[in-house]
Amino acid sequence: MLTAEQNDELTAVEAGTRMGEVLRRYWYPVAFAREMAEFPVKRVELLGEFFALWRSPSGRYGIIPEPCPHRKASMAYGVVEGEGLRCPYHGWKFDTEGACVDQPAEKDNTNFQGRVRATAGKVEELGGLIWAYVGPDPAPLLPRFDVYVMDGFRDIGWADIPCNYVQIMENAVDPHHVEHLHGRYFEFIGSHEGFTAPASFGKKHQRIGFDAFEYGIIKRRILSGASEDNDDWKVGHPLVFPYNMRVGGGGIHQMQIRVPINRTTTRFMLYTVHAPEGYEALEQPTVPDYEIPVFDENGQHVVNYVEGQDIMAWATQGPITDRTTEHLGRSDIGVSMLRKMFKQQMAAVEKGEDPLGTVREPHERIDLPCEKDKFHAGGAQFALDFCDMGSTRFSPMLDTIRKVHLSAAEQVGKDRAAGRESFTPVGGIGTATLEPGTDAQVDSGLVPR
Amino acid sequence: MTLPDRRFAADAEAHRRDQPRHCPGCAGTLELTSEFWEGDERRFYCWCAACGWTGEITPTGPTATGHEPEH
Repeated sequence: MLTAEQNDELTAVEAGTRMGEVLRRYWYPVAFAREMAEFPVKRVELLGEFFALWRSPSGRYGIIPEPCPHRKASMAYGVVEGEGLRCPYHGWKFDTEGACVDQPAEKDNTNFQGRVRATAGKVEELGGLIWAYVGPDPAPLLPRFDVYVMDGFRDIGWADIPCNYVQIMENAVDPHHVEHLHGRYFEFIGSHEGFTAPASFGKKHQRIGFDAFEYGIIKRRILSGASEDNDDWKVGHPLVFPYNMRVGGGGIHQMQIRVPINRTTTRFMLYTVHAPEGYEALEQPTVPDYEIPVFDENGQHVVNYVEGQDIMAWATQGPITDRTTEHLGRSDIGVSMLRKMFKQQMAAVEKGEDPLGTVREPHERIDLPCEKDKFHAGGAQFALDFCDMGSTRFSPMLDTIRKVHLSAAEQVGKDRAAGRESFTPVGGIGTATLEPGTDAQVDSGLVPR
Repeated sequence: MTLPDRRFAADAEAHRRDQPRHCPGCAGTLELTSEFWEGDERRFYCWCAACGWTGEITPTGPTATGHEPEH
């Protein structure tokens, strides 16, 4: 439970707010490379502001606030010309640094151009996504997290969720919801719709733990039938501060991205890399994207797949959940830990420091910890459940993805028979991040169930 | 924001009234006081931005509960 003032501060995304200033220290995906190849200008909403994003014929990107500094017409309807973007109204042109480089109806020999600089952000392409940074200089480096650069077959599911991103992030430090929302509730829906929900999602939690680390919070769990030796505990998986969660298992690697579009809208993206042991590389000139369903034709949430259940739980809390009348229990300790982390980063930014996870060292790849044997369900079984019971079933690539996993399993069989090691794409830290016998920083202790 | 849940207006008021205001370590203003429940107890998970103190504060009222382990 928080006061209304604390809730307001925590959920703000706008410039000039404490949290909004933290959020402006990170890079965000704002477009698919695919869509910018189809049409080179896009109107982007990010952190409660609108921008014009463009791609030049040479492949350079620029992003500036949407209103033209001249008379505020939308630059998102601009004309891409050379490396710059020309306003459709009177033809003022801006380069990727935000400099006004042409004012067709004004005299040449004045300093007027220098007075009307647009505030340009930085833009880069990585992993089939276009990333933007719209915060203060010096911009940090775009983190090359493992999923965006590793070998594997990719697709991206997405949906716009009508709620604030913080309640989605609080879900990322809430292990218990899995056994109920994706276990008991899934079973209930399956019993009415005629399918069998995956058994591994309903296993009871016996212990949960959280460790703060350099990119966020590692979440751990011990489910019934498991121990400290299982990946779910000793490796865990992280909330990547402030708006991601890295998950995976069974040869699947995924970043769940929750971009704060504005205070009450979040762009949810499932960036998935299928990279099982025995993977045989497939050509992917572009990374396919697809919209996942949120509501059915009757306006009801679609709840017969894993992420649809999550979306239902996030959105039905309301546009901004009322934390003044919530009732947290001891099992919600991860939520309190995350709120502390948000507050710590607000204080850090106010002191002029970089917030958590800001990357300034050049790097090839940042590997994040992520369990490989998820819910000790067995790799292949988890991959099949993932395809059948998760958002992947809406992917236009579903058949190909099934083949990726099946042919990889076949290849592993052949390799084993021939006594050779199978190729496995490298990505993620699958080894222990907690010493055996050690408590997590926040630890429930073992409660046999 | 989502409309406040009027069923729990008293809890919200109690939170505003009872939340700890000062750090037990340095007496600075507490930056975070996130309230949660454990059984009958109301607890406040707190963080002080000034000195970094993190801890839980549990109001006991006039009665403190002791224990007598087996021996």
